[in-house]
Amino acid sequence: MTRLKTTALIGALAALVATGAHAQDPIKIGYQLPLTGDTAQYGQGFRNAAQMQLEKFNASGKIPVPVEIVYEDSRSDAKEGVTIARKFVDDPAIVAVLGDFTSTVSMAAAQVYRQAGMPQLSQTASHPDYTKISEYQFRNITTQDQEGPYNADWFTELGYKKVAVIAEQTDWGQSVVDGFSERFKEDGGEIVFSEFFNRGLKDFRSVITKIERAQPDAIYTGFFYEDGANFLRQARQLGVETPIFSTSAAYNPALIDLAGEAANGMKLTVTFLPTSDDPNVKAFVDEYTERYGEAPGQFPAQAYDAVGIMLDAVAKTYPDTTRETMRDALAETKDYPGVTGVTTFDENREPAKELAKAEVKDGEFVALP
Amino acid sequence: MIDPYYLQQLVIGLSLGMTYALMAIGFTLIFGVLNVVNFAHGEVYTIGAFASLVLITAVAPPFVAVVVFALAIGALAGFSLERIAFKPFRRFTDEASLKSRAMREATLLSSLAVSIIAREAIELLFGSQQQAVPFEYLINQPIHLGPVIIVTGDLIIFGISALMLIGLQFLLTRTHVGLSIRAVSNNPLGARYVGINVDRTIIMTFVIGGMMGAAAGILVGLYYGVIFPAMGFIPGVKAFVAMVMGGLSSIPGAVICAIILGLSESVAVTFISSGWADMVAYGFLIVTLIFFPQGLFGARRERV
Repeated sequence: MTRLKTTALIGALAALVATGAHAQDPIKIGYQLPLTGDTAQYGQGFRNAAQMQLEKFNASGKIPVPVEIVYEDSRSDAKEGVTIARKFVDDPAIVAVLGDFTSTVSMAAAQVYRQAGMPQLSQTASHPDYTKISEYQFRNITTQDQEGPYNADWFTELGYKKVAVIAEQTDWGQSVVDGFSERFKEDGGEIVFSEFFNRGLKDFRSVITKIERAQPDAIYTGFFYEDGANFLRQARQLGVETPIFSTSAAYNPALIDLAGEAANGMKLTVTFLPTSDDPNVKAFVDEYTERYGEAPGQFPAQAYDAVGIMLDAVAKTYPDTTRETMRDALAETKDYPGVTGVTTFDENREPAKELAKAEVKDGEFVALP
Repeated sequence: MIDPYYLQQLVIGLSLGMTYALMAIGFTLIFGVLNVVNFAHGEVYTIGAFASLVLITAVAPPFVAVVVFALAIGALAGFSLERIAFKPFRRFTDEASLKSRAMREATLLSSLAVSIIAREAIELLFGSQQQAVPFEYLINQPIHLGPVIIVTGDLIIFGISALMLIGLQFLLTRTHVGLSIRAVSNNPLGARYVGINVDRTIIMTFVIGGMMGAAAGILVGLYYGVIFPAMGFIPGVKAFVAMVMGGLSSIPGAVICAIILGLSESVAVTFISSGWADMVAYGFLIVTLIFFPQGLFGARRERV
C-alpha cells in the first residue's frame, strides 16, 4: 500500500514541479477496504480493479490534473472503519470516498460521512438501510430488496411451495432472508426453515441435516463463496438432493475451485458474468486476468464500476470539485456503461441493475434464459 | 428405535468431537501436562496444514507420505517455537527465576506474539483466502451405515487420535522421558536437582506436541477441505475449553471432553439456531470454572 501511495505521490510531485502551478494538486479520493484480515482477498480485488480504472482515467487526460486514490485498510472492522472515516473527513483534499466492503462497516462509517457531508459510494454494501442513512450514501450493487423478490418470483415460477432459508449472521444476511421471505409468502409459499450461521463456520452438517428434516422443495442461501463452497460440499457429502439457490454474492469463480463437483446444479442471480460477449466485459476480464493472474469475480467488477462512476463525477465537476458538487454529480449518474450492466442512480441513490439467472453446469457459471 | 435424524446428529457430533480431540491432544501435552503457557499451538496446526498442502500441490505424494511430512514439519515447528518464544525465558537458572510465576507466565505473551507473526506471515505468502485443496486428497468420501452417513475421514481421524492417545499415555506413564516430563511440570527446580535435563525434556515435549498439532492441522484440513491462515484459532479455543474441562493435565480427560463438546454442539443445533451453537463451548467453560475448578477429570493442582 505504501509503495502505491508513494508512487502516486511521486507522480503528483513530478506534475507539480513540471508546471509549478498550484492548480496541479491531485484530486484525492479515499478508499476504505479490507486489505488484511479474514476478508483481505475481497479488498485486494477491489484495489486491483480500482488501480486499473484509475490508470485508465489518468491516461485519458479528461481533466488536466491527476486523480489519486488513498487506500486505507479497515480489516472489515466497524471500529476501524469509523477511524478511517474520521481521517478522510479531516483531510480537506479528499472530495469523496469509496467503500467499505461489508454493509456493517459501511454503515458505521456512513454516520461520520453523513455528519461531514462527504459523498460515499460503496461497491458492495447491499443492506437496504445503507442508503437511507443520508443523501450522501450511494452504492453500486443490487440490494436484497431487489434480489430477494426477484428470486422469490423465480421460485414460485419453478413451482416450489416449501423453502428453507439460511444466511450468514450479518446485517446483509438478514436482508437476504427478509427480502426473499416477504415476497415468497406473498406469492403463497411457505418458509419451513429459517436460520442464520456464523461466518466462517466450518461444519455445516448439523444444520444441513436439520434443513433436510424440514423437507423443503428448495434451499435458498445467503453466503459468500468460501462458506458457500463448504456448505455445498457437505450437502453433497450428506447426499442432499434438494436444489440449492443463492444470491449474486456467491458468484465467484473460486466457489467452483473450492467446491468442485459439489457446486454443479447450484442456481443463482448475477449482474456480471465474465463469460459474457459484451466487449466492455471482455476487455475488463482480459486485462484483469493478465495483470493479476486470475479471473475477476463479481466483486472486483463492482469496484471497477464504482471507481468509474466516481471518476466520471470528478470529470464532470472539474475544476469546481468539492464534496458538495461531487455528491450532486454522483446523484446525476445516468446510464453509466459499466461491466456490471448499465447503471443509473434513482432518487434514493440506488442503482437500478438488471439481474440475470445463472446455474453452475460442469464446473462453469452458465447464464439461464 | 431412535429417530435416524438424531442418530445422524450424534454421528456428526462424534466426528466433530474427534476433530477437536485431535487438536486437544498436542495442546494439552504442552499447555496442561508440561504446564507451560502456550498460545501458539493453533499456528503449529496451520503451518502443518499449509506445508502439507504445498507438498501435495508440488509432488502429489501418497496420503501416508503427507502425514509423515506433516509430522516432520510439526517437529520442526515445535522445536523452533520453543527456541524463539520459550527458551529465552529460561536464561536465568537461579532459584528465584526458576520459582517465579511471572517468568513462567511471560510466555503467554511471547507465544502469542509468535502466533500472530506466523499467521500474518502465512497471510502475506498465501493470501487470507481459503486455499483450494486437490479433491483426490480430501478424506470425505461418504460411507452409508444404515440410516446414517459417515465419511472416510471419520475413520482415519478416529484411528489416528486413538493411536496418539495410547502412544502418549504409554510415553507419559511407562517411559523415562514421560517421567522427566511429569517431573519438570511438577517442579522444574526439583527436577534439575535430581539430575533431569530440563532443557532437553521441554524441547522434547514441544517436538512431540508440535508433531501432533501439525498432523491434526492437515488431517482436519483435508477432512473439511478448508485450509486458510486463521484456521487454527477456533480449534485452538475448543481445545483450550476441552483441556480446562478435562482438568488441564489429563490427556484422556481432554479427549473425552472434546467429544462431549462436539456432541453437545451438534445436538444443540437441533434446538437452537446454529448461530448460537458456539455458545455451548463457552457455556461449558464457564460452568466448569465455576463448579469444577479442578476440571472433570483433573488431579488437584495449583494453576495459572
